[in-house]
Amino acid sequence: MSTRQIGISSLIFLAIYVVQESIISQFRLPGGGFSILIIFVLSWAIMSERDIAAVIGFSGGLLMDLSQNTSGPFGQWTLIMLLAGYGISYLGYGDDNFFGGALGVVFSIVLGNLLIELLFLISAPLLGVSIGSFGQIISTLFGTSVWTLFLTPIVLPIFARLYKTIFQAGSLA
Amino acid sequence: MSKGGQSRTRLLLVILIVTSLFLVTLDLRGVKLLDNLKQGMHNVVSPFQRTANSALSPVKGFFSDISLLGRSGSQIEKLEKENAALKLELLERQDADVQIDQLKSILDLAGTAGYKIVNAKVISQGSYQSFAQTVTIGSGSNSGIAQNMTVLSEYGIAGIVKEVYPNSALIQLASDPAFRIGVRIVNSQQIGFLTGRGERSAVLQLLDNSTDINVGDILMSRGSIANRPFVPGVPVGYITTVDNSAGTIAQSATVRYYTDFSKLSVLAVVVGGPSTNPGDALVPQKPRPIPTPTVTVFVTPTPTPSN
Repeated sequence: MSTRQIGISSLIFLAIYVVQESIISQFRLPGGGFSILIIFVLSWAIMSERDIAAVIGFSGGLLMDLSQNTSGPFGQWTLIMLLAGYGISYLGYGDDNFFGGALGVVFSIVLGNLLIELLFLISAPLLGVSIGSFGQIISTLFGTSVWTLFLTPIVLPIFARLYKTIFQAGSLA
Repeated sequence: MSKGGQSRTRLLLVILIVTSLFLVTLDLRGVKLLDNLKQGMHNVVSPFQRTANSALSPVKGFFSDISLLGRSGSQIEKLEKENAALKLELLERQDADVQIDQLKSILDLAGTAGYKIVNAKVISQGSYQSFAQTVTIGSGSNSGIAQNMTVLSEYGIAGIVKEVYPNSALIQLASDPAFRIGVRIVNSQQIGFLTGRGERSAVLQLLDNSTDINVGDILMSRGSIANRPFVPGVPVGYITTVDNSAGTIAQSATVRYYTDFSKLSVLAVVVGGPSTNPGDALVPQKPRPIPTPTVTVFVTPTPTPSN
């Protein structure tokens, strides 16, 4: 990665973070809503090689930890997103990759989002974070998955185009 | 990928994992390494939140309204008759009216108890990704707000101030799973503590197992030392179900908060507690039935003309 690529990528990460924190957080979405930052990180991680995907996941998680709304210790989201970024890239790399087409990518992002939430739920009690009632957890997991499924096909082409413009790598758009 | 490339990737992954674990460990040990960065990030985002809050004010309740579509059919029919310009004007007016109503109720509540308050608009909802329940308000330390102050809604307790920035503050809502508050039952004066569950209901655990608690009992906040984090006498909620399971160590119940956390637009932070404990002065009044006037008609039979 060149300095130019890192610089532009950082600006895009910051822009997505600001959109999430200032615009999307204004809406009281039923079912808990969605995280555009998670969708963005997973989209880019799928298109990247494993080492770059790990750095993308790490950066996205670090931004999530910097959010004022995050509960839990600093670094929890960094670790979770790092593992998610690396994992989704691992499954998507090579000719015999796991996804096979845009539809597969969309479902993988939805599944990745769900797994991220589950990883948070598993690690939360270990780190002393309260997570609420069972009904609320199920409702949030279902709600965020539906929102992610609805939104990913809309934003994926934009994220893929951005990725292609910066890295000039293979595109899924 | 070549063998060298694989080794490099593994090394990078290990370094990043160790860095993450290092950050978690530091935070859990109380070393706030990146607090300044977090605060700086918030200062960057805060003006965007204010702008977005103003710009999106007429439409931000749209998605939550959709979920209530079936229940608001008549209202929608009424709105459909109006033209687009009037619709927008009406939405803006409704938003302002709701805020004025909430503010008036908050001032009534605070005035009765003698709380000194600072009002603030909610400028951002919290993220559900962390299963936390928070909102951000548009006033901070410049308005006298400090950490661990009680936050009121129009109906009672809304939460506490978790983080403070110069011009905004993060509020941990009473529905947050990590929220705990000491309460007393109005009639029996029994004390216990309430724990949030991520929704409008909460779990009450009484300290004394021998007391009877009843559905409908009202809970008020117990005060904290120096009124922080909780001022005394704030309405919290009422009991909806009682758990009478045999063999439990502490008696528990489910409580419904008075505050509707999905409709918060204006909040008040108690910056000065009451000089005396308001006691039960803020207990919500039960709605009084309005007597229906009955009309009594006396019918006087017309005397039958005698032949």
